[in-house]
Amino acid sequence: MPNSVVSVESFAISFGHKQVVKDLSFNVNHGEVFGLLGANGAGKTTTIRTLLALLEPTSGKLLVNGQRYSPILSNTLGYLPEERGLYRNEVVLDTMIYFAVLHGLSKDEARSRALTYLKRVGLADKANERLVKLSGGQQQKIQLGVTILHEPSLMILDEPTEALDPVNRALLMDIINEQRSKGATVMLVTHRMEEVEQLCDRILLLKDGVAAEYGTIDEVKDSFGSQVISLNFSGKLPAHNKLYKVTKQLPHYAEIEWHKDVSTDEVLRFLAADKDLHLTTFEVRRPTLNDIFLDLYKDQGADNV
Amino acid sequence: MSKLRDVIGFEVRRNLKKKSFWVTSFLPPIIVIVIITISVASGNNANKTNQQQASTFTQTHKLAVLDETGLINKQELTKQHIIIEPTEKTGIAAVKSDKISAFFYYPKNVVNAGIEIYAQDQGISFSSSYSTAATQLLKQNVITRVSLLAKNSQIVQLIQNDPTVTTTAYKNGKQTNGLAGIIAPGAFMLAFLVLLVLMANIMITATTEEKENRAAEILLTAIKSRTLILGKILSILSLGLVQLLVIIVPLLIAYVFFKSHITLPGGVSLSHIPLDPKVICFGVLFFVGGLLMFTGFLVGLSALFPSAQEAGRYLGPAFISAFIPIYTLSYIISSPHTLIVNVFTYFPLTAPTMALLQNAAGTLSTTQALISLAVVAVSATIAMTFAMRAFRYGAMEYGRRISIKELFQ
Repeated sequence: MPNSVVSVESFAISFGHKQVVKDLSFNVNHGEVFGLLGANGAGKTTTIRTLLALLEPTSGKLLVNGQRYSPILSNTLGYLPEERGLYRNEVVLDTMIYFAVLHGLSKDEARSRALTYLKRVGLADKANERLVKLSGGQQQKIQLGVTILHEPSLMILDEPTEALDPVNRALLMDIINEQRSKGATVMLVTHRMEEVEQLCDRILLLKDGVAAEYGTIDEVKDSFGSQVISLNFSGKLPAHNKLYKVTKQLPHYAEIEWHKDVSTDEVLRFLAADKDLHLTTFEVRRPTLNDIFLDLYKDQGADNV
Repeated sequence: MSKLRDVIGFEVRRNLKKKSFWVTSFLPPIIVIVIITISVASGNNANKTNQQQASTFTQTHKLAVLDETGLINKQELTKQHIIIEPTEKTGIAAVKSDKISAFFYYPKNVVNAGIEIYAQDQGISFSSSYSTAATQLLKQNVITRVSLLAKNSQIVQLIQNDPTVTTTAYKNGKQTNGLAGIIAPGAFMLAFLVLLVLMANIMITATTEEKENRAAEILLTAIKSRTLILGKILSILSLGLVQLLVIIVPLLIAYVFFKSHITLPGGVSLSHIPLDPKVICFGVLFFVGGLLMFTGFLVGLSALFPSAQEAGRYLGPAFISAFIPIYTLSYIISSPHTLIVNVFTYFPLTAPTMALLQNAAGTLSTTQALISLAVVAVSATIAMTFAMRAFRYGAMEYGRRISIKELFQ
């Protein structure tokens, strides 16, 4: 088995005159959780669709386990697309069995696993209901079941927590961890940075179809730049242009960047001495992925992030 | 192969579970039963009309008779200006040469052999009148000859039951199949159009359902679009077969158990329907080819639309093209070589119906049939290839109609 489950090399794709992805290369290693991140329109879903041979690349190579993906490999893939749904007018159990059989399970095995899954997520009594009769949250659970029932070795989850309620979000996190502990590789497409920090080993940040950052979370944070001081306080935060500049300010929270020739001790002493300010926390930390994300896509407007 | 079987199984099962499928399936047989009931109720009236037509037959038509039973009074025949032919051959020759309208041949053992009629093909309305006139002529004479009862054992049987009648029709000196010849090939045309109407909704929703439900993307990573579309088309044809059986089974039951009570329009006996292998073969090929072509065409085009509702709005005209050839029926019968008939025979969307109509009317030549079949076969292949491509590239265009140009970019 190659160490790279997914290998993308010099991938580019255009729709008409519009180039959506340009010269993109990355690998997803066996057993890791890989985050493909980016603002809306950055090319994440297009990359996934091309990887899964739903679209043809303009140039480059996109391989899964060393070969171009084809539905023959569907028993190894659990795919939760961004645009997702099932046959709403069909019976839950029939639908789950159908998709599991298409992913390589026998009918008996599919039935048995579907019933076990439904019991696990508290929907055993809904097995013979039509999907349309289920609540939105219950339908989401069925959708997740369809993705993992055949125990795929590669899970590609495109915006998996989008529109999920907290219960289903927790369920998904459990499922991802469970599959990972069984040795599955997970590729997560998202723009929720807190999930990425919790789950991902390595990430790739796509911007305008090119890789803006690529590596482990630490590597990305290191490459991105300076640390910040985060403060929780009451009172009034004083300005001091020679020591620091305030990069973010809320009524009782602020983030500041100190100048190169100043130490953090000097900043702390100055703030502690201020009679109009009562500090409750003073933390020197690296930027979060959220900070990096916001900084990277700040020129793209709120609608796209 | 196993995935193809899984798709067909799933699609067939879920459609068979729908109430709407069974409602549309049972509608045609119910309509047929209603029509038959009305026909039976008005049967007496029709008989009276036939008898009235038959009684004036000798005045309006030039008839000839050869009676080998000895039961018909020759003086009566002469009085009614009916010619007495010396042999069967001369009678048939007189019909062929258009000298007489009909020749009635009564063989010696008429009870078992039946009456043979050789007549000018004058369409549906007169077919039953020939039969009634020939039977009436014999029975009226039998009743007046009861005195011969002891000498002729056939008289009792003829008083109790009508003899069977076989009609051979001629047009311009050439034998035609008459009404009976239309029935077998006409059934293929009828079945084709009925199935097209019944299956239209399933054809249109076959691919739009996946788009509307956002299920297409998962499906296409699990199964090749070619296998999926082929599975859907074959499942549609299987469902069509089920609907056809719903229509055919009651008819078969009626045929097996009630054939002696059923008389088709024009007095055609079910046992005398000709089954010309060439005509039946063309009927089957155009029926299957036409359904494959329309299924591929409608499935493919609907894959370009975001919803079944929108697809239905645009596909209506294409669907109607299957029915347009019916309006050229008079041309098919009177002048089958006119331009419009030829155009419809070779234009893909009208070819199946037109060829099936011509096949029923007996005006479809072998060369015409083979060319038209080639058109249908090529069109069906193109339609199915198009359907696969349309689904493959149109499936992920949620909420948007894609153009054919985009499909091939």
